[in-house]
Amino acid sequence: MMMNYSKRVVGLIILLGWVASCDVEQELFSDLRQETVLTSDDPDVIAVLAASAYSPIVGTWGGHNSLWSLHEISSDEMAITQKGADWEDGGQWIRVHRHQYLPTEEAVLNGWNYCYSAIGTVNNLLVTFGENEFVKAELEALRALIYWWLLDAYGNVPIITEETTSSSPPTNTRQEVFNFVESSLVNNLDLLSTDLTFGRVNFYVAQTILAKLYLNAEVYTGTPRWQDAVDACQEVIDGGLYSLEPVFFSNFATRNNGSMENIFVLNYDEDNAQGFNLGQMTLHYASQQTYGLQEQPWNGYSSLEDFYNSFDENDVRINSFLEGQQFALDGSILIDDSAEPADPDGPPVNFTPFITELTPNALRQEGVRVGKFEFAIGAGANLSNSFPIFRYADVLLMKAEALWRMNNGDTEALALVNEIRSRANMPGFDNLTAARLLAERGREFFAEGHRRTDLIRFGRFNDAWWGKPNASSTTKNIFPIPDFQIQVNTNLQQNDGY
Amino acid sequence: MKKILLLIITAVFCAGASLHAQERTVSGQVTDAGDGMPIPGVNVVETGTSNGTITDIDGRFTLSVGANATLAFSYIGYVKQDVAVGTRTSINVSLAPDLTQLSEVVVVGYGTQERKEITSAVASISEENFNRGNVTDPGQLIQGKVAGLSIVRPGGDPNAGFSIRLRGLSTFGANTQPLIVLDGVVGASLDNVDPNDIETIDILKDASAAAIYGTRGSSGVILVTTKSGKMGVPTSSLEYNGFVTFDQVANRMQVLNAEQYVANGGTDFGSQTDWFEELTRPAIGHTHNLAMSGSSQNTSYRVSLNYRDNQGVVEGVDNQRINTRLSVNHRALDGKLRLSVNAAFNNRNQNAINNEAFRYATIYNPTAPVFEPEGPSRYGGFFQRDLFDFFNPVALAQQQSFQQERKSLLTSFRADYDILDNLVIAVSYSQDRNTGMNAGYWSKFDPARGFGGGGIANRTAYNNLNELMEATLNWSFEPMDKLDATLLVGGAVQRNHNDEFGVEVRQFLFDDLGFDGLQFGAIREGANTFAFSNRLKDVLNSGFARLNLNYDNTYFFSASARYEEYSGFGPENRGGFFPAASFGVDITQLADLGPFDNLKFRASFGVTGNLPPNPLLGIARFGTGNRIDLDGDPLTRNDIFVEPRQLNDPNPTLQWETKTEYNIGFDYSVFNGRITGSMDYYTRNIDNLLFGVSLPAGAPNPFSADAPNNVAGFAWANIGELQNAGFEFLANVNGLQFGQINWTPSLNFTIYQRTQLKTLQVGDLGFSEIRLSTPGSPGQNNNQIIRNREGENIGNMYGPELAGIDENGLYVFRGADGTLSGDPGSPEDWGVIGNGLPTWEFGFNNTFQYKNWDLNFFIRGTFGHDLYNSYRGFYENRDPASNTWNSVVTSLTNPNIVSTPTFSDFYVEDASFVRFDNASIGYNFNVLNSKVFSRVRAYGAVQNLWTITNYTGVDPEVRYTDTVLEDGFQTGLAPGLERRSTFFTVTQLTFGVNASFK
Repeated sequence: MMMNYSKRVVGLIILLGWVASCDVEQELFSDLRQETVLTSDDPDVIAVLAASAYSPIVGTWGGHNSLWSLHEISSDEMAITQKGADWEDGGQWIRVHRHQYLPTEEAVLNGWNYCYSAIGTVNNLLVTFGENEFVKAELEALRALIYWWLLDAYGNVPIITEETTSSSPPTNTRQEVFNFVESSLVNNLDLLSTDLTFGRVNFYVAQTILAKLYLNAEVYTGTPRWQDAVDACQEVIDGGLYSLEPVFFSNFATRNNGSMENIFVLNYDEDNAQGFNLGQMTLHYASQQTYGLQEQPWNGYSSLEDFYNSFDENDVRINSFLEGQQFALDGSILIDDSAEPADPDGPPVNFTPFITELTPNALRQEGVRVGKFEFAIGAGANLSNSFPIFRYADVLLMKAEALWRMNNGDTEALALVNEIRSRANMPGFDNLTAARLLAERGREFFAEGHRRTDLIRFGRFNDAWWGKPNASSTTKNIFPIPDFQIQVNTNLQQNDGY
Repeated sequence: MKKILLLIITAVFCAGASLHAQERTVSGQVTDAGDGMPIPGVNVVETGTSNGTITDIDGRFTLSVGANATLAFSYIGYVKQDVAVGTRTSINVSLAPDLTQLSEVVVVGYGTQERKEITSAVASISEENFNRGNVTDPGQLIQGKVAGLSIVRPGGDPNAGFSIRLRGLSTFGANTQPLIVLDGVVGASLDNVDPNDIETIDILKDASAAAIYGTRGSSGVILVTTKSGKMGVPTSSLEYNGFVTFDQVANRMQVLNAEQYVANGGTDFGSQTDWFEELTRPAIGHTHNLAMSGSSQNTSYRVSLNYRDNQGVVEGVDNQRINTRLSVNHRALDGKLRLSVNAAFNNRNQNAINNEAFRYATIYNPTAPVFEPEGPSRYGGFFQRDLFDFFNPVALAQQQSFQQERKSLLTSFRADYDILDNLVIAVSYSQDRNTGMNAGYWSKFDPARGFGGGGIANRTAYNNLNELMEATLNWSFEPMDKLDATLLVGGAVQRNHNDEFGVEVRQFLFDDLGFDGLQFGAIREGANTFAFSNRLKDVLNSGFARLNLNYDNTYFFSASARYEEYSGFGPENRGGFFPAASFGVDITQLADLGPFDNLKFRASFGVTGNLPPNPLLGIARFGTGNRIDLDGDPLTRNDIFVEPRQLNDPNPTLQWETKTEYNIGFDYSVFNGRITGSMDYYTRNIDNLLFGVSLPAGAPNPFSADAPNNVAGFAWANIGELQNAGFEFLANVNGLQFGQINWTPSLNFTIYQRTQLKTLQVGDLGFSEIRLSTPGSPGQNNNQIIRNREGENIGNMYGPELAGIDENGLYVFRGADGTLSGDPGSPEDWGVIGNGLPTWEFGFNNTFQYKNWDLNFFIRGTFGHDLYNSYRGFYENRDPASNTWNSVVTSLTNPNIVSTPTFSDFYVEDASFVRFDNASIGYNFNVLNSKVFSRVRAYGAVQNLWTITNYTGVDPEVRYTDTVLEDGFQTGLAPGLERRSTFFTVTQLTFGVNASFK
């Protein structure tokens, strides 16, 4: 009997020993571990990592349904009209245009995630590069840019740095975020490069962000900072690195990397850095034949007639729109066989400034399209044009506006505005008014994502306009905190009015 | 095929031999009283002596007997019969099947048990009860046969797989499908076995039965046992089964014809085309199965060869499969050592089209011609127009082609050794290897994708290996009088290896080579190209034990436990423990219950787990991001690198999802086994649910201070709790006699309590709802129609309520406060307008026998589920878009509606249905005297003959998953959408023959 039991026991021990001997450590084959990436001393790896901090902000800015879409569609320069069933999309774009946005809007969440995902990446790199004061300064200035976007769009947001430990960081006030952006920039100015950089934050980019911050300080904090805005602009001007491109559209060409006017760009590339989809977003389905595009466009974004009409026909910038009859590459007229019976132009595709209605039955060919950026022949869904976030023209107009705010008769302000108008082949103004300044900025920066901020600063964002029959509440001047984020972080506070 | 048929027919007529009786001995044949088939292996013993024999393969026996002998005929599964010989020299005996089925052996985890000892919810379906017809997938064999087990394949795509769901949704994760155990190989793929080779399928329904499989048992376990040679009786057999199947379209959407379309304001291109006719064809398939088996005293083998060739009802859709299976069993050392080797090789090639062709066949302009009337165009001669979402379906089906080749090899080795009479050690090793190559080509003339890319081609190859080593000890003992005990102890190591790589290139000068000439693709980077490789390996170690007790065949008890460690969990939480216990009592042993000859009450409890969808969720991983040119100069190429980008936010605390299930039930048998069956009530609670959770974007990782800040804004976590319950009923009526007609009906039904979401919170994280599934373009892109909310059922559809139509043909919606308006209102005000999960199902099987004829038909029904009819939701209204797309016409169509289509309850339909699922009629030829055949049966079968439903879409079948949702781990949360790419349903007619050779 003993013998029997011992056999069983031996059998069991062998069995269990064999099971226990197998290693259950998880191996990783096709991705890299955190240690491998963040602790490398290979100079190429370090250089690539530092540059990779900019990849998240290249991200979804130039695509549909994120922050840029919110800025543009909530302003008076663009709309996504509902063309029958097409582009109804749950009513999001109608609500955004009418300032009825909800905390559950996808774009509101996407814009937020776009910014904070980039902040997470920068913070992780700050842990890695914290010892390198130059890289650290650049990363902190880059993070300030993103916080300026958040400050502008969402107002009251949590400040998360590499030193934050709470996994549910609480909301900070708009004033606190303002101070954080300001100090992040000011404290690092001495350490930032004063060389020309391309798509990287240098001293002048930081000054431009400061100029933006001060120009809008009254909106953000209630306290105007006009002279600070002038000073920051002056730093950029005095640097002498940047100048107005003689040809306005060279700033938006497929190969716009040589532009001396673009101070900071998102360096899109059809292969290396994808995400700029403007051609898909604005062009008509049939426009695929106009540019030999790889994919059929979506026929979504168009400009408003009133905004189009704010351009003089001699203004070179009116070519920021695609208007009129459209042609294929071979010169034949583009045909839309499904043109609505109500369309006076019939099947030949003709982009008209007039749009019947925002919803539900705008006609497919109505609305002038965004033609400011070159669409390369044979382009794919992702364009290679770099997207200018800050241009020298903006610095000049910001300085002009800040001077004018302090003194409506300021002659330098007038001269700066007229310098911009002159490049556009337009005669100079003899004096400046709020309406003129706002309209000039509108013509200059159409589709560059500035319009909403400018309208708010000039107190016009809440006006009624085409497709938005009613004035909106000033609580709509910041977007709601995304519902989904409040669900996962109970320390977040919803903005007033939502 | 023709030759084989000819051979069979010739043989039937030529065969003929008579039996020559011998003197002084008794001989005869033993047949089944039910179907008249001979029974081999029957024990024939002269009572009171040790003199005996067994019947041969034809059921015949010869035995020398003494005077006044009585012969006892016995065989498992039949009622024993004693026959006095008297003066006869020839005795033919018909054995009646033992209806009480008490001796039925049921396969359970790591062994078998007698049916009477089973104390958990286990269903067993054997070959004679399988579904008939062109059954191409093992799951299809038992579709509708088991209460609580749903097996569906919406639409008629012969390449599509079946969704299997046991007892409703019990997890969100990857493993919503039950675990498959194929001849003991845990986690094998059902693709590795041909339906013809399956002997029985056992389903472990409750957690007490499945708990022995620990982490992977949560969605139930399906044990598949293949046929093998029967040892001990010298036999040899050769069987052929072949059939031809004809498919035709059963159901599709009805649309306007060309004249109606133009009259309705549609753009007139001047032709008349029936796009359904152009796209579809009658399809033919044929299947051949040849199986040979044999045995001697100590060795048995079975080899089978299966060939299947099936076409879809659209040109370009087909598959061919060859499946070879070998099984060898051997006994040595006086039977103390038993060895078995199984090997199955499966080769499957399939071709597919873009299923969106079904959508375009439905909505494409009926006045458009198939080809451009004026000769070649830039789209390869096909008529195309540059409109949104407007592609010639015939061109689409021809200009995009997809090919899959898969080879699988399953080998398993097992040795059992009797250390003592009552102590058996078993060790086994198996390899389940799947390798394959997928390829796709989008012609340079295909406007839907290939044209823009100048022709796009790809290939991906994969190589998966699932390795399993197992050892068990099985000890049977009798600790006290009348108490039988069996103790099982075991351990297992399982390793999964997955490798894949793929390449896509574009821009071809010639259109001819497709994916066979990737080197002709000029552009290899950027959009519409890729190159990647991926390798994955995980390890699962287990130890397990089970104790079964049987006291006097009256009280039964079983307890099991499994401990596992999985590499894919967080280091602190790698181990999991899964206990189970169950109890049963046969009340008829304690008291006389009148007509009941068996009434067993069962109660059980068990815990099972679920693995995460991917073993890498606990590790912070850096994958590929943008490419960075360090100096910004595209001319210098030695400084371009792919940046590492953080892919995920890791959760190193990730652990098992656990399901706790209680089951009570009865097994009953009344009127001497005339009616048998069971009923079960279960309730299950799933907590630590594995699911992806959004994290505060950019904030520190909530699970680990060492992990990087949240970048993906999303991590997998053990979050939330689910609950569901159900009632299952089964009744089999055995052998009702009406004259010479024998009728065997079987009915099962299930009532489901839909799965409820209790919470979705873990600590500070969580959310109150998960919204999923937008209907799509045009115009329904941002409206997620399914909301899974805390405290509500999974899969609730939310939308506005349509009150009616105004005089202008515009929608009138009823708002939350009851007001009527044309505005669908804010999404936040909408209510529940449907749910895609069923509330009850039934299956009703009938077998009739009359002389040599057999007839079987099977009806099943599913009730209570809703479907969003996407075709109606997009293309029914006479809105401005109906000048581009054809309009569907259904019994619900109101031609006055001119509103822009908007999702509402109007398009969510009750999809309850009753389907005449399959039927077969067969004739057994009388071949008793044939020299060639021991059995010949010819049969015809039909599948999906008719469906009764009020649903107006393509197929009212339940959509357990959303085919469009790309995230496979959320798709189970989005039931109830009939997408526009649904393959038309088909009716299948099958004609075949089964023949057994001598």
